[in-house]
Amino acid sequence: MSDRTLSLKSAMLFAAIACAVAGCASKDDVSPADVEKQAFEDLRTEIRAVIDDPAREGEAIALVNELSEDLNALREKIGQRRQRVRELNADYDTTRADFEAYFDKVDREIRWNKRQVSEKHREFLTIMTPDERSAIAKTHSKARDAAIRNIQTI
Amino acid sequence: MLIALFTIMILGGSSTATLAFIADTQDSVKIVMVKDDRQKEALSTLKAMKKRTNARNKHLKRASKGIYKVLRQDVINTADIDAIWTGYFAEIDQYDHDMLDLRWELKEHINREEWEEIFSGD
Repeated sequence: MSDRTLSLKSAMLFAAIACAVAGCASKDDVSPADVEKQAFEDLRTEIRAVIDDPAREGEAIALVNELSEDLNALREKIGQRRQRVRELNADYDTTRADFEAYFDKVDREIRWNKRQVSEKHREFLTIMTPDERSAIAKTHSKARDAAIRNIQTI
Repeated sequence: MLIALFTIMILGGSSTATLAFIADTQDSVKIVMVKDDRQKEALSTLKAMKKRTNARNKHLKRASKGIYKVLRQDVINTADIDAIWTGYFAEIDQYDHDMLDLRWELKEHINREEWEEIFSGD
């Protein structure tokens, strides 16, 4: 798929979002998941355009794919945590020790997540040069901007 | 997008304030409890929970901005990220501790039946 085709696809997706917000929703409504999917696709396109070396390009794309999966897993995990805490709170007989044990478990998960993400970030720094990172950071697409807003609410 | 993604992933998401929802039950408390001193005390505790959550959210915003700023640099010092993260993680712990204190304070004002009705949707 060419860059131009992807840009058009991205623009159409954003138009559909704007339409949905304006109240002209139809059966073709665009979900936040669709926006995010398009944003990651735009990002891959940009990486292909910016990195000339095929080996590093492949590594960068693989890393983006992993981050996309990690993001979905994190979102799911946070949903499960919220639900579990609501269940604990709703039970009048839950002890403080029950809560603390659960929070300790969550703390361990957060620490593990930080180590994993830091490792991937180090990998990212070795794959891309500062100029390449800067070039990618400067580009925007409407889907990417919308996805960032989604991601920031996780 | 990558920088925003790494920022939020490093922080483990921005919705780690898992007890924040309790503070949003003022309306239920007003419906379920009789308007008396106990209700007044319960609402006061919920207000304190809201205030604590707002302070925690401000901390998150500062940590998020700090990490984003570091990640945008050409030469990234990971020690700077670790320092911000450590401070943020300590705040998560303190927040959970403070919110549990306030939850137990809330329970002193609400009886079992009222509690079950207020949180029946959960």
